[in-house]
Amino acid sequence: MTDNITERFIEAAKRVGAEVLRMNTLQDAVTYIKDTAKGNTLVPETSLVKRHHLRALLSEAGADVFTGKFRNAGELPGAGITFCNFCLADTGTVVLDSTDEEMRLATTLPEMHFILVDPTKILRDNLAAVEPMTAFHQGNEPKFIAYITGPSRTADIERVLTIGCHGPREVHILLVAGISSDLMEN
Amino acid sequence: MATNDTYKKSVEAAIANPKLSKALHLFGDAYLIARENAYRGLDFEAMRTELAAIKDEVRVRRKELLAEFIQNAEAAGSKVFIAKDTKEANDYVINLAKQKGARHIAKSKSMVSEEAHLNKALEAHGIKASETDLGEWIIQLAGQRPSHMVMPAIHMFKEEVAELFTKECGTRLTPEIKTLVDHARLRLRKEYFNADIGLTGANFLVANTGGIGLVTNEGNARLCATLPKVHVVFAGIHKLVRNIEDAIKITRLLPRNATGQLLTSYITWIRGAVPVNGEQKEQHIVLIDGGREALYESKVCQNALRCIQCGACANVCPVYQTVGGHVFGSIYISAIGIILTAFYEGLDKAKEITRACIGCRSCVAVCPSKIDLEEIILHLRNEVTKDFGMGVVKNVAFKAVMKNRGLFHSMVRAASKLQGPITHKNRSDSERRIIRHLPLHFMDRDFTEWRDLPSIAPKSFRDQFDSIPQQVTNPQYRVGFFVGCGADFVYPEVGVSMIKVLNSLNVEVVFPKSQNCCGIPALYAGDTETGVDLAKQSVQAFTDAKVDYILCICPTCTMAIKRDFVDRLADHPQWSAKAMALSSKTMDASAFMENILGASAKLKAMGTGKAVTYHDSCHLKRGSNVWKEPRALLLASGHDIKEMKNSDRCCGFGGTYSFLSHPQISRQITKDKVETIQDTGVKTVATDCPGCMIMLKGAVGKADETIRCVHTMELLAEALDKTK
Repeated sequence: MTDNITERFIEAAKRVGAEVLRMNTLQDAVTYIKDTAKGNTLVPETSLVKRHHLRALLSEAGADVFTGKFRNAGELPGAGITFCNFCLADTGTVVLDSTDEEMRLATTLPEMHFILVDPTKILRDNLAAVEPMTAFHQGNEPKFIAYITGPSRTADIERVLTIGCHGPREVHILLVAGISSDLMEN
Repeated sequence: MATNDTYKKSVEAAIANPKLSKALHLFGDAYLIARENAYRGLDFEAMRTELAAIKDEVRVRRKELLAEFIQNAEAAGSKVFIAKDTKEANDYVINLAKQKGARHIAKSKSMVSEEAHLNKALEAHGIKASETDLGEWIIQLAGQRPSHMVMPAIHMFKEEVAELFTKECGTRLTPEIKTLVDHARLRLRKEYFNADIGLTGANFLVANTGGIGLVTNEGNARLCATLPKVHVVFAGIHKLVRNIEDAIKITRLLPRNATGQLLTSYITWIRGAVPVNGEQKEQHIVLIDGGREALYESKVCQNALRCIQCGACANVCPVYQTVGGHVFGSIYISAIGIILTAFYEGLDKAKEITRACIGCRSCVAVCPSKIDLEEIILHLRNEVTKDFGMGVVKNVAFKAVMKNRGLFHSMVRAASKLQGPITHKNRSDSERRIIRHLPLHFMDRDFTEWRDLPSIAPKSFRDQFDSIPQQVTNPQYRVGFFVGCGADFVYPEVGVSMIKVLNSLNVEVVFPKSQNCCGIPALYAGDTETGVDLAKQSVQAFTDAKVDYILCICPTCTMAIKRDFVDRLADHPQWSAKAMALSSKTMDASAFMENILGASAKLKAMGTGKAVTYHDSCHLKRGSNVWKEPRALLLASGHDIKEMKNSDRCCGFGGTYSFLSHPQISRQITKDKVETIQDTGVKTVATDCPGCMIMLKGAVGKADETIRCVHTMELLAEALDKTK
């Protein structure tokens, strides 16, 4: 069943223009990112990034991991790298708690966005997201949750679909088993 | 009247520019396919029924939900301001900007800011607003307004965009879409970084979280909400929903219906004052009434506020496809635009466009919130008529003549005699009984230039009925025939054919002679009073007739009896029960034959093998959901059906629309239909509506004399004759 959902997610995400790859290990994903990303790379310090030492892994692999405040990374940084909270299989969507500003900058400004996804976090569809979305909004602290479905697009000139309007031009989803099963963390 | 003239000129100018219309047609065709794919495996009808229920509940509980929203948003650090009108909303933003010393606002798309003319108001105070949505930026540079709710610059071509961008940046840009999009990406990036305030709209306001939602594709709204220190949300009060589940349900319909996407690239959920550059952001939510409360209070029109602003009513509208959104709309365009213009800008502003709707109900079929847009537009047209009149021709025709059945029918009889000299003498066959040129001096020359008009039959159906032999000895049913004006006076042979087919299926037909016009022409012109009077006449006639069913061969008449008689007579206690009783047993003749009699199984033996193409009349398919039935009957009677493209697209008739209010627009819509018929290569086009027959016989005849247009009943009767 899980695998079926994963297949559906892969198909849906590809249909909207995302690259989706299955990776055997986190290290393989790191190598892929290092080979694909160009320019400075924004990696917000989230709990999963810390737990998996992602910044260190990327630096060791030779990626240009940006170390300052992301507002100073330029108007068009090269890449942003994040984990995710959960995904939606029917639409190929990645859901990301982006309340932390560094997370928002790393996913809106760069040319490319790499997302590390544990397949156990893929939900059937957006109706299945009602529960975790409601859980995010318990209490009353400020929240910024982003649904990301493929790269940025527009059809505003002559209704011709054009990729890469104001957000990332490329979205790379890397499936890695065993990185996290908690929908509330990223 | 100046506005009337300006409007007429704008219609003519739009028609003289076929480039836009062609683009909108291509878009409309592609949209239908994308939308169908997007809904595959889902039950659109169930989804939209649920959304309608959600929105209705929100309407009822709106005050309580608004209070809940404000409380939750404030608890999360937002400031909420309720603006009674757009001026108050603009003033709030201007004052805020002044307080903050802000000179520059980066804006993402917000239709209500268009409604408020916010940019202009800001400019007057020296505050620069930069649109960052690509389409909005294009029209801002062009100094225009959006011509579509979702794609604001849909009316512009890449060459024009290249011109605008070149002028703005001083470097020549080639008219290649990719180049232009890349330019906008780079050029607008600095606007987010430089802006003091970021302003976005909201697709929903979630009461139980105090958060807002943004449904976007380009990614500019996320940047507007992230980079500047202050975030202003500019939204209409009708965007409220109860909870996240409601909002998610909207996101399942909105992108599918707007652009045929399963989901847009981004859905952004923002609650409260999120962090910004090591501090806390200032978030101001400006909620605008601006006529919405009045719309909520209008029993007849309130459903319009179920709208989730997907723009689909424009995408499928033949009038929109012909003239574009700058003619057919104001700030908001197309069907929903008519209603919102009336409430947000005033009935006077909407009076021309309320008449521009042809009544084809395409918008109703596609609406994700199940709004009966046509019905609301008809109501507004009635209001316009009350306030501004409906013109002399219609006034005399409806009020003085039609209400008096005797006078109406004897005038028609007289007309059938007087028209002799202008019809084609040597063609007695009904298909050639047409008027080539109208002598009536008050009518436009354009009238018969592009289509022939039917002449009035020498003997109406009502005058023929008694002489039609009916040999049904032990009838299975006795049905009452509501003939309708088209079949009574123009195509009586359709009724004769229907009787022949019904008799062969062991059904006897009764014709109550005191029935009158269904009243739709008067109602469409905004004359409710005549409509009520006509409804009473026919309700009485059929109540007295005591029949098993009431059959129509005109789908507009079917809708009138099934739906409108009940509505029109709802406030007349002695009539409403009768109207409801008739409504429940009224149907289209082909639906009766197929669904009640199972006729396609009984007709099986009749093989003629003749190729036909079928035109779905608007009111049959979208008014009565009948489209399989005539096809089943045609197939069973030995016809091969070769489907035309967009078989359910309007033929351009629309009753008085094509004669009096908008013949120029009709002409274009009809031209499309004729082309799709010709493309099939088939020489017979069948339909189930005398109105469509008037339009198609006339226009197809002018285009190709060898193509025949007939009612399904005629083909069935012919097939019967052949088997005898």
